[in-house]
Amino acid sequence: MILDLHNHSIKSDDGRAKVENYCQWIKKRELGLDGFVLTEHRQFDAESDYRKLEDEYGILILKASEVETDYGHVLVFGVNDDLRAAYDFTRIDLPLELVIRETERCGGVAVPCHPGRPRVGMCAHFEAKGPVEGVRVIETLNGGSRGEEDAAALALAEARGYRGIGGSDAHIVSQIARCVTRFPNEIRDGDGLVAALRAGDFEALSWK
Amino acid sequence: MEIDVEALKRDWTGFTFDTAEFEALTADLVGFATACGETAKRYTDPSDPDFQAVPNYPSRYVGRRVLPDNFPRLGGGYGFDAGKCVTPIAPIRAGDKITARSQIHDVYTKTGRSGTMLFIVHRMEFSNQRGEPVSVVDWRMVQQDRGAQ
Repeated sequence: MILDLHNHSIKSDDGRAKVENYCQWIKKRELGLDGFVLTEHRQFDAESDYRKLEDEYGILILKASEVETDYGHVLVFGVNDDLRAAYDFTRIDLPLELVIRETERCGGVAVPCHPGRPRVGMCAHFEAKGPVEGVRVIETLNGGSRGEEDAAALALAEARGYRGIGGSDAHIVSQIARCVTRFPNEIRDGDGLVAALRAGDFEALSWK
Repeated sequence: MEIDVEALKRDWTGFTFDTAEFEALTADLVGFATACGETAKRYTDPSDPDFQAVPNYPSRYVGRRVLPDNFPRLGGGYGFDAGKCVTPIAPIRAGDKITARSQIHDVYTKTGRSGTMLFIVHRMEFSNQRGEPVSVVDWRMVQQDRGAQ
Protein backbone atom coordinates (compact mmCIF):
# COMPACT_ATOMS: atom_id res chain seq x y z
CA MET A 1 0.00 0.00 0.00
CA ILE A 2 1.39 3.36 -0.99
CA LEU A 3 0.58 6.52 0.96
CA ASP A 4 1.76 10.09 0.63
CA LEU A 5 2.27 11.12 4.25
CA HIS A 6 2.76 14.88 3.96
CA ASN A 7 0.31 17.21 2.18
CA HIS A 8 -1.49 20.49 2.78
CA SER A 9 -4.96 21.58 1.74
CA ILE A 10 -6.55 25.01 1.74
CA LYS A 11 -6.95 24.54 5.49
CA SER A 12 -3.30 25.54 5.74
CA ASP A 13 -2.59 29.23 5.27
CA ASP A 14 -0.26 28.52 2.37
CA GLY A 15 -2.17 25.57 0.91
CA ARG A 16 -3.82 26.09 -2.46
CA ALA A 17 -5.28 22.64 -3.04
CA LYS A 18 -8.77 21.43 -2.28
CA VAL A 19 -8.89 17.85 -1.06
CA GLU A 20 -11.28 16.82 -3.80
CA ASN A 21 -8.89 18.24 -6.38
CA TYR A 22 -6.10 16.05 -4.98
CA CYS A 23 -8.41 13.06 -5.46
CA GLN A 24 -9.28 14.08 -9.00
CA TRP A 25 -5.62 14.56 -9.86
CA ILE A 26 -4.61 11.20 -8.44
CA LYS A 27 -7.27 9.40 -10.44
CA LYS A 28 -6.87 11.41 -13.64
CA ARG A 29 -3.12 10.92 -13.67
CA GLU A 30 -3.35 7.30 -12.49
CA LEU A 31 -0.66 8.02 -9.93
CA GLY A 32 -0.90 4.69 -8.16
CA LEU A 33 -1.42 6.30 -4.80
CA ASP A 34 -3.69 4.43 -2.40
CA GLY A 35 -4.11 7.34 -0.05
CA PHE A 36 -2.67 10.49 1.42
CA VAL A 37 -2.40 12.28 4.72
CA LEU A 38 -3.31 15.93 5.29
CA THR A 39 -0.80 17.54 7.60
CA GLU A 40 -2.06 21.07 8.06
CA HIS A 41 0.34 23.66 9.45
CA ARG A 42 0.12 24.40 13.18
CA GLN A 43 -3.32 22.91 13.61
CA PHE A 44 -5.36 19.75 13.50
CA ASP A 45 -8.38 19.91 11.23
CA ALA A 46 -10.91 18.16 13.42
CA GLU A 47 -13.90 19.45 11.47
CA SER A 48 -13.49 18.19 7.94
CA ASP A 49 -15.04 14.85 7.07
CA TYR A 50 -13.62 13.31 3.90
CA ARG A 51 -15.44 9.97 4.02
CA LYS A 52 -17.61 10.80 1.02
CA LEU A 53 -14.53 11.62 -1.02
CA GLU A 54 -12.89 8.39 0.12
CA ASP A 55 -15.91 6.43 -1.09
CA GLU A 56 -16.24 8.35 -4.34
CA TYR A 57 -12.60 8.09 -5.36
CA GLY A 58 -11.51 4.94 -3.55
CA ILE A 59 -8.66 6.78 -1.86
CA LEU A 60 -7.77 6.69 1.83
CA ILE A 61 -7.67 10.20 3.29
CA LEU A 62 -6.17 10.62 6.75
CA LYS A 63 -5.55 13.66 8.89
CA ALA A 64 -2.47 14.62 10.90
CA SER A 65 -0.58 17.84 11.66
CA GLU A 66 2.67 19.64 11.01
CA VAL A 67 3.86 21.51 14.08
CA GLU A 68 6.87 23.79 14.51
CA THR A 69 9.55 23.15 17.10
CA ASP A 70 12.92 24.43 18.21
CA TYR A 71 14.44 21.71 15.99
CA GLY A 72 12.31 22.41 12.93
CA HIS A 73 9.00 21.14 11.65
CA VAL A 74 7.50 17.85 12.80
CA LEU A 75 4.69 15.72 11.41
CA VAL A 76 2.39 14.41 14.11
CA PHE A 77 0.34 11.30 13.32
CA GLY A 78 -2.39 9.93 15.55
CA VAL A 79 -3.69 13.27 16.78
CA ASN A 80 -6.44 12.89 19.37
CA ASP A 81 -8.04 15.05 22.05
CA ASP A 82 -5.39 14.17 24.63
CA LEU A 83 -2.62 15.16 22.29
CA ARG A 84 -4.29 18.42 21.31
CA ALA A 85 -4.44 19.27 25.00
CA ALA A 86 -0.82 18.28 25.60
CA TYR A 87 0.77 21.14 23.67
CA ASP A 88 -0.24 24.20 21.70
CA PHE A 89 -0.20 23.31 18.02
CA THR A 90 -0.20 26.98 17.01
CA ARG A 91 3.16 27.80 18.56
CA ILE A 92 6.32 27.97 16.45
CA ASP A 93 8.75 27.29 19.30
CA LEU A 94 7.57 23.98 20.74
CA PRO A 95 10.39 21.97 22.32
CA LEU A 96 11.00 18.93 20.11
CA GLU A 97 11.61 16.80 23.17
CA LEU A 98 8.14 17.74 24.48
CA VAL A 99 6.47 17.02 21.16
CA ILE A 100 8.06 13.59 20.90
CA ARG A 101 7.38 12.65 24.50
CA GLU A 102 3.77 13.82 24.60
CA THR A 103 2.95 12.44 21.17
CA GLU A 104 4.22 9.03 22.24
CA ARG A 105 2.34 9.24 25.53
CA CYS A 106 -0.91 10.05 23.76
CA GLY A 107 -0.57 7.22 21.29
CA GLY A 108 0.81 9.00 18.25
CA VAL A 109 4.05 9.23 16.34
CA ALA A 110 6.13 12.38 15.83
CA VAL A 111 8.21 12.49 12.66
CA PRO A 112 10.61 15.39 12.05
CA CYS A 113 10.11 16.43 8.44
CA HIS A 114 12.42 17.85 5.75
CA PRO A 115 15.33 17.49 8.21
CA GLY A 116 17.88 18.62 5.65
CA ARG A 117 16.40 22.07 5.16
CA PRO A 118 18.02 25.06 6.86
CA ARG A 119 16.23 26.41 9.94
CA VAL A 120 13.11 24.25 9.62
CA GLY A 121 14.98 20.95 9.46
CA MET A 122 16.50 18.92 12.26
CA CYS A 123 20.01 18.36 10.85
CA ALA A 124 21.30 21.88 11.37
CA HIS A 125 19.84 22.02 14.87
CA PHE A 126 21.47 18.69 15.76
CA GLU A 127 24.82 20.17 14.77
CA ALA A 128 24.23 23.29 16.83
CA LYS A 129 22.40 21.94 19.87
CA GLY A 130 22.96 18.21 19.85
CA PRO A 131 20.52 15.38 19.16
CA VAL A 132 17.19 14.88 20.87
CA GLU A 133 16.34 11.51 22.31
CA GLY A 134 13.22 9.70 21.26
CA VAL A 135 13.34 10.30 17.52
CA ARG A 136 12.65 7.05 15.73
CA VAL A 137 11.35 8.07 12.33
CA ILE A 138 12.19 11.04 10.12
CA GLU A 139 11.06 12.16 6.69
CA THR A 140 14.02 11.18 4.53
CA LEU A 141 12.33 12.04 1.25
CA ASN A 142 10.42 15.31 0.94
CA GLY A 143 8.85 16.51 -2.27
CA GLY A 144 9.76 20.13 -1.62
CA SER A 145 13.35 19.59 -0.53
CA ARG A 146 16.37 19.97 -2.76
CA GLY A 147 18.55 17.02 -3.62
CA GLU A 148 21.24 17.88 -1.13
CA GLU A 149 18.63 18.40 1.58
CA ASP A 150 17.17 14.93 1.09
CA ALA A 151 20.72 13.56 0.98
CA ALA A 152 21.42 15.14 4.36
CA ALA A 153 18.24 13.60 5.75
CA LEU A 154 19.18 10.16 4.46
CA ALA A 155 22.67 10.50 5.90
CA LEU A 156 21.23 11.46 9.27
CA ALA A 157 18.86 8.48 9.22
CA GLU A 158 21.69 6.10 8.39
CA ALA A 159 23.99 7.55 11.01
CA ARG A 160 21.44 7.39 13.81
CA GLY A 161 19.38 4.37 12.79
CA TYR A 162 16.18 6.25 12.07
CA ARG A 163 13.51 4.80 9.85
CA GLY A 164 12.55 7.04 6.92
CA ILE A 165 9.23 8.02 5.39
CA GLY A 166 8.44 9.86 2.18
CA GLY A 167 6.00 12.73 1.81
CA SER A 168 5.40 15.23 -0.95
CA ASP A 169 4.77 18.32 1.17
CA ALA A 170 2.28 19.26 -1.53
CA HIS A 171 0.61 22.65 -1.42
CA ILE A 172 -0.91 22.49 -4.91
CA VAL A 173 -2.51 19.46 -6.53
CA SER A 174 0.24 18.72 -9.03
CA GLN A 175 2.78 18.33 -6.23
CA ILE A 176 1.17 15.26 -4.69
CA ALA A 177 2.87 11.87 -5.03
CA ARG A 178 6.36 13.27 -5.52
CA CYS A 179 7.53 11.32 -2.49
CA VAL A 180 5.60 8.47 -0.93
CA THR A 181 5.82 5.68 1.62
CA ARG A 182 5.22 2.02 0.85
CA PHE A 183 3.70 -0.21 3.52
CA PRO A 184 3.63 -3.99 3.06
CA ASN A 185 0.23 -4.34 4.71
CA GLU A 186 -3.07 -2.56 4.19
CA ILE A 187 -3.76 0.51 6.29
CA ARG A 188 -7.40 1.35 6.86
CA ASP A 189 -7.32 4.29 9.25
CA GLY A 190 -5.21 6.57 11.38
CA ASP A 191 -4.68 3.97 14.08
CA GLY A 192 -3.41 1.56 11.47
CA LEU A 193 -1.00 4.16 10.17
CA VAL A 194 0.36 4.85 13.64
CA ALA A 195 0.77 1.14 14.28
CA ALA A 196 2.68 0.71 11.02
CA LEU A 197 4.91 3.69 11.75
CA ARG A 198 5.66 2.41 15.21
CA ALA A 199 6.45 -1.02 13.83
CA GLY A 200 8.92 0.55 11.40
CA ASP A 201 7.58 -1.58 8.59
CA PHE A 202 7.73 0.76 5.58
CA GLU A 203 10.06 2.34 3.06
CA ALA A 204 10.32 5.79 1.53
CA LEU A 205 10.15 6.17 -2.25
CA SER A 206 10.89 9.13 -4.48
CA TRP A 207 8.62 9.65 -7.46
CA LYS A 208 10.08 13.06 -8.29
CA MET B 1 12.65 38.40 16.24
CA GLU B 2 10.76 38.33 19.51
CA ILE B 3 7.09 38.80 18.71
CA ASP B 4 4.27 38.67 21.22
CA VAL B 5 1.58 37.42 18.88
CA GLU B 6 -1.07 37.24 21.55
CA ALA B 7 -0.48 40.88 22.47
CA LEU B 8 -0.71 41.90 18.82
CA LYS B 9 -3.97 40.03 18.45
CA ARG B 10 -5.36 41.51 21.62
CA ASP B 11 -4.40 45.06 20.78
CA TRP B 12 -4.91 45.25 17.04
CA THR B 13 -7.46 42.77 15.71
CA GLY B 14 -11.20 43.03 15.44
CA PHE B 15 -11.83 46.73 14.91
CA THR B 16 -12.36 48.76 11.76
CA PHE B 17 -9.44 51.11 11.15
CA ASP B 18 -10.32 52.29 7.66
CA THR B 19 -13.42 52.79 5.54
CA ALA B 20 -13.34 53.56 1.84
CA GLU B 21 -15.97 53.87 -0.89
CA PHE B 22 -15.73 52.86 -4.51
CA GLU B 23 -18.01 52.74 -7.52
CA ALA B 24 -18.02 49.66 -9.70
CA LEU B 25 -17.69 51.25 -13.12
CA THR B 26 -18.65 49.26 -16.18
CA ALA B 27 -15.35 49.93 -17.94
CA ASP B 28 -13.38 48.83 -14.88
CA LEU B 29 -15.37 45.61 -14.59
CA VAL B 30 -14.77 44.77 -18.23
CA GLY B 31 -11.12 45.80 -18.12
CA PHE B 32 -10.38 43.77 -15.02
CA ALA B 33 -12.15 40.68 -16.36
CA THR B 34 -10.35 40.96 -19.68
CA ALA B 35 -6.98 41.40 -17.97
CA CYS B 36 -7.68 38.21 -16.04
CA GLY B 37 -8.25 36.36 -19.29
CA GLU B 38 -11.92 35.91 -18.56
CA THR B 39 -14.07 35.18 -21.62
CA ALA B 40 -17.53 34.53 -20.14
CA LYS B 41 -19.93 37.18 -21.38
CA ARG B 42 -21.45 37.77 -17.97
CA TYR B 43 -18.06 39.24 -16.97
CA THR B 44 -16.97 40.88 -20.23
CA ASP B 45 -20.12 42.04 -21.99
CA PRO B 46 -22.14 44.85 -20.34
CA SER B 47 -25.14 43.91 -22.49
CA ASP B 48 -25.31 40.47 -20.91
CA PRO B 49 -28.37 40.32 -18.63
CA ASP B 50 -26.23 38.82 -15.84
CA PHE B 51 -23.28 41.21 -16.29
CA GLN B 52 -21.24 41.40 -13.07
CA ALA B 53 -17.73 41.66 -11.72
CA VAL B 54 -15.48 38.62 -11.79
CA PRO B 55 -15.31 37.09 -8.30
CA ASN B 56 -11.76 38.34 -7.65
CA TYR B 57 -12.58 41.89 -8.69
CA PRO B 58 -12.58 43.34 -5.13
CA SER B 59 -8.92 42.37 -4.79
CA ARG B 60 -8.08 45.45 -6.90
CA TYR B 61 -9.33 47.80 -4.23
CA VAL B 62 -6.94 49.27 -1.70
CA GLY B 63 -8.06 51.33 1.26
CA ARG B 64 -6.48 54.54 2.44
CA ARG B 65 -4.40 52.77 5.05
CA VAL B 66 -2.75 49.37 4.94
CA LEU B 67 -2.31 49.12 8.71
CA PRO B 68 -3.83 50.99 11.63
CA ASP B 69 -2.10 54.14 12.81
CA ASN B 70 0.78 53.35 15.18
CA PHE B 71 0.78 49.65 14.34
CA PRO B 72 4.17 48.40 15.56
CA ARG B 73 6.92 48.22 12.97
CA LEU B 74 8.30 44.72 13.22
CA GLY B 75 11.28 42.83 11.90
CA GLY B 76 13.18 45.81 10.63
CA GLY B 77 10.42 46.77 8.26
CA TYR B 78 11.26 44.13 5.65
CA GLY B 79 8.00 42.86 4.25
CA PHE B 80 6.26 41.55 1.20
CA ASP B 81 2.85 40.59 -0.15
CA ALA B 82 1.83 37.01 0.64
CA GLY B 83 -1.30 36.97 -1.49
CA LYS B 84 -5.00 37.62 -1.29
CA CYS B 85 -7.91 35.29 -0.69
CA VAL B 86 -11.26 36.44 -2.05
CA THR B 87 -14.54 35.06 -0.73
CA PRO B 88 -17.38 36.18 -3.00
CA ILE B 89 -20.75 36.49 -1.31
CA ALA B 90 -23.01 38.21 -3.85
CA PRO B 91 -22.50 39.66 -7.36
CA ILE B 92 -21.07 43.14 -7.74
CA ARG B 93 -23.00 44.88 -10.53
CA ALA B 94 -22.06 47.84 -12.66
CA GLY B 95 -22.91 51.05 -10.88
CA ASP B 96 -22.85 49.53 -7.40
CA LYS B 97 -21.52 51.84 -4.70
CA ILE B 98 -19.15 49.68 -2.71
CA THR B 99 -18.10 50.35 0.85
CA ALA B 100 -14.97 48.61 2.14
CA ARG B 101 -14.18 48.31 5.83
CA SER B 102 -10.70 47.25 6.86
CA GLN B 103 -9.55 45.51 9.99
CA ILE B 104 -6.64 43.36 11.10
CA HIS B 105 -8.25 39.96 11.10
CA ASP B 106 -5.37 37.82 12.34
CA VAL B 107 -1.71 37.86 13.23
CA TYR B 108 0.41 34.74 13.33
CA THR B 109 3.97 33.54 12.96
CA LYS B 110 5.53 30.66 11.08
CA THR B 111 9.02 29.44 10.37
CA GLY B 112 10.57 28.70 7.01
CA ARG B 113 13.93 28.25 5.30
CA SER B 114 14.55 31.98 5.64
CA GLY B 115 13.67 32.22 9.32
CA THR B 116 10.73 33.46 11.37
CA MET B 117 7.98 35.33 9.58
CA LEU B 118 5.11 37.37 10.94
CA PHE B 119 1.91 37.21 8.92
CA ILE B 120 -0.63 40.01 9.19
CA VAL B 121 -4.04 39.31 7.71
CA HIS B 122 -5.69 42.53 6.57
CA ARG B 123 -9.40 41.84 5.98
CA MET B 124 -11.57 44.08 3.81
CA GLU B 125 -15.30 43.49 4.02
CA PHE B 126 -17.23 44.85 1.06
CA SER B 127 -20.92 45.79 1.00
CA ASN B 128 -23.08 47.45 -1.64
CA GLN B 129 -25.32 50.52 -1.49
CA ARG B 130 -28.10 48.41 0.08
CA GLY B 131 -25.81 47.33 2.87
CA GLU B 132 -25.62 43.80 1.55
CA PRO B 133 -22.27 42.06 1.99
CA VAL B 134 -20.78 41.19 -1.40
CA SER B 135 -17.23 40.03 -0.73
CA VAL B 136 -14.48 39.52 1.80
CA VAL B 137 -10.82 39.86 0.87
CA ASP B 138 -8.08 38.62 3.17
CA TRP B 139 -4.73 40.12 2.25
CA ARG B 140 -1.74 38.48 3.88
CA MET B 141 1.35 40.54 4.46
CA VAL B 142 4.63 39.10 5.69
CA GLN B 143 7.21 40.84 7.77
CA GLN B 144 10.56 39.23 8.32
CA ASP B 145 13.54 39.95 10.46
CA ARG B 146 16.49 40.73 8.17
CA GLY B 147 18.79 40.27 11.11
CA ALA B 148 17.80 36.63 11.44
CA GLN B 149 19.20 35.68 8.05
